[in-house]
Amino acid sequence: MSVILLVDDHENVREMLKTSLLRNKYTVLEASNGKEAIARFKPSVVDLVITDILMPEEDGLKAIMKIKELKPDIKIIAISGGGKAGPNNYLCLAKALGADHTLTKPFSVNELMARIKELIG
Amino acid sequence: MFSELKILFLKSSQIPDLQIEELFRRYFPLPSAIEFIDYELVGSGIWNACDVVICDFTAHNPTDEEYFSLLVTKYRPSSFVIFTHDGSVSRVPPGLSVILYTATTDELLSIMPEILPSLASKVELSLRHDKITLERQLSDHVLNNSRSMLSVINRDYVYERVNEKFCSHQGKSCSHFTGKSLGEVWGEDIFRDSIRPRIDECFGGKTVRYEASFFTPSGGKRSFDIIFRPFHSAGGIVTHLLAESFDITEKNAAEASFMKLQDELTKLEENIPVGYIRCLLNGDILHMNKACMEILSLDDKASISRLNLRDFYSDATLFGVHVELLLTEATRKLGRVLLRSARSEERVCSITGFINASISGEPRHIDFAIEDMTREIFLESRLMQAQRLETVGALAGGIAHDFNNILTTIYGYAEMSAEDLDKGSPLGENMAKIIMAVRKAQSLTNQILTFSRQIEQEKVFVNLWQVLNETVSLISSGIPHNIYLKDTSADTGLQVLADPTQLFRVFLNLLTNSMQAMENGGGTLTIDSYSSAGELLKASLSLDIFADSYIVVTISDTGHGMDESLLNRIFEPFFTTREIGKGTGLGLSVVHGIVTEMGGEITVDSRVGEGTSFNIYLPAVRDPVADSEEMYNSRRLLYISGNKYESKVLSLALENAGYNMVYATTGKDILKIINKRESRPDLILFPDDLDDFSFIDLASVMRKSDVPIPLILITDSQDLILRENSLISEFARHFLLKPVSLKEVSSAIEIALSTNN
Repeated sequence: MSVILLVDDHENVREMLKTSLLRNKYTVLEASNGKEAIARFKPSVVDLVITDILMPEEDGLKAIMKIKELKPDIKIIAISGGGKAGPNNYLCLAKALGADHTLTKPFSVNELMARIKELIG
Repeated sequence: MFSELKILFLKSSQIPDLQIEELFRRYFPLPSAIEFIDYELVGSGIWNACDVVICDFTAHNPTDEEYFSLLVTKYRPSSFVIFTHDGSVSRVPPGLSVILYTATTDELLSIMPEILPSLASKVELSLRHDKITLERQLSDHVLNNSRSMLSVINRDYVYERVNEKFCSHQGKSCSHFTGKSLGEVWGEDIFRDSIRPRIDECFGGKTVRYEASFFTPSGGKRSFDIIFRPFHSAGGIVTHLLAESFDITEKNAAEASFMKLQDELTKLEENIPVGYIRCLLNGDILHMNKACMEILSLDDKASISRLNLRDFYSDATLFGVHVELLLTEATRKLGRVLLRSARSEERVCSITGFINASISGEPRHIDFAIEDMTREIFLESRLMQAQRLETVGALAGGIAHDFNNILTTIYGYAEMSAEDLDKGSPLGENMAKIIMAVRKAQSLTNQILTFSRQIEQEKVFVNLWQVLNETVSLISSGIPHNIYLKDTSADTGLQVLADPTQLFRVFLNLLTNSMQAMENGGGTLTIDSYSSAGELLKASLSLDIFADSYIVVTISDTGHGMDESLLNRIFEPFFTTREIGKGTGLGLSVVHGIVTEMGGEITVDSRVGEGTSFNIYLPAVRDPVADSEEMYNSRRLLYISGNKYESKVLSLALENAGYNMVYATTGKDILKIINKRESRPDLILFPDDLDDFSFIDLASVMRKSDVPIPLILITDSQDLILRENSLISEFARHFLLKPVSLKEVSSAIEIALSTNN
């Protein structure tokens, strides 16, 4: 059973995504910011990380960098809702740092599930 | 000639005073007053001065030199008359005029009747002589202390008298001139041609005055104000003239410098960009400079004096208030004032006033400095507008971000709920509608993010006219029949760096707006695009940094137009003139955001009832692909030459042949060009026609550079070739002997360049 680390500072979004992930039979670990995400990440346990970019404490880009260091073959999907420079900017950076896929909010959860299936089955 | 003569009688004998007095009264023909003192009591006596001193030394003869000195000092007589018994006088100071008589004391009285008359004439003569001498001395004193060169010239054109100034100016002693003719002194030619005619005029009775410059040994070339005044002797005949020359060199220089200064001040005043105006306290204009005339739209400088500044104030009473303020505080910033020009255009100007008072403190006139604030105000309002948009944008951007998260949640649950429903369930439709609504909301937030410039545009080189044309064809099917579409674009190849989708959105938006404006009455929709130099647009744009050239797109309609209050808010987000429900009011703010993000500007002109025109300015670009191709084909030649005709012809021919020519004439410049990679030439041509830069100089420059560059030397000096053979073979790839044909030079260049590769 695959384990997914879900990182987002918006509680409602996190809850909705958790619901969807659980429906699709994934195990979910949660974090509400980059710092928590890095703490929660266990290389031997987590198969895929879904992370937002703009978060307090430490942002998603930092988290992606660190996680990639700890487990180079980890699968990462980056999501973003905007911000000063616009979602595209951050997502491009996320891709450059090693994210396998990016989605702009609001996105279809069905699409997200499809991407996850592509990456880890 | 004389009033009473004062005679001092020094007595040494016992002759009674009265007797002598009697004798004088009877025999001395001149009116006189006599005082008697004892010769031993020289210091006494009430007189301080006398005309004649008569000394009776018949009884006693002073031998003291000091005695006479004392007499002279105390009385300063014109004549001395001395009676001695043996006719001798000792110790008389030299230079003293003495009339001596020999007589004894007894004889004195008896000889008096005889000698007194002749004595009188002698005294008279002496006095007259003294008077003349004194007058002469005084006049000499006056003459010689004059600051002018003075001379007296007689009818034979001879100098009879000259003053010291005259002589010192000429650097010679006065004796050199007296008695000499003018021709001798100045030269016969000069005298005949320029001096004599004027002198003759003066001898005719006229005072002649003129200015002349001539060389003086003491001061070089000096300028003089010269006056000839005729001198009439008795009988009314002009016998002499008085010539006065006053040195005006310094005065002329001061005048010249003053004029120059005045000129410069006038020029300064005319050219400063600040308007300057001087008027009386009642507003009557005395003077204004060019800048002020421009501000007030006046052309005729002559008519200014008939105008009053009060008439240029939009509110005439304000002028009075300003004058009052200025009277209390001499300089005052009057702030922004609305002025009305001669063409009835209202202009906001910043005015500062300064009261000019006379020495006594009475205010004479007021000076104003006037600056047209129109541009400043325009920029201020643009800035405020931009700041408003910026604030709203930032706010909206923040909200949009949160919005997206909320939408994500709604979207997710809707999708999940849809999955849980049975196929064909009516609730499935509801879910689909929720999802569609989320999509719509997403598009809305995207628009918000666009106008607040938070959406990244993906820019490429696009042909602007093509995008414009595509947009037009898209809407052409929907154009009502009462609207006529016109495209007056001249250049269809203009390129910009832009996101084609965004550009499309901009044009679509504006075209739609224009059509909506003409909904009711129909009209003409005109599209125009052209390029314009950045310089020319400075006045109409508020950008701080200007591109070299801009592409301008104008979309105008003949619809209902907008008034000023609408125009000010047209780009505001959520501002719409349409009814609720018809349009979000985001269209133009999005357009504004896109255009601004591209480094351009959008402006709007409109007149109610006539129509509206949107003008978009986008920085023009040159296609870098085309550029690099150009550079690849062109070889850079460094041409080191002067301005000689043959060399110029050659360089022009080479330019036309397509070579990229660079010119330099000094070692420093050449070295700079060679050493910088961007400017490094592929080849150097040296036609050897510079006077101060020879081939040897060039060789030493080449030696200093560490980059070997092929050099072609073109010279007419066989000598050079023989002499500097080693230097030439070291640095020059090729040398040609003048005269050379263009063909020879071209082939040499080609060979040099190809072997280099």
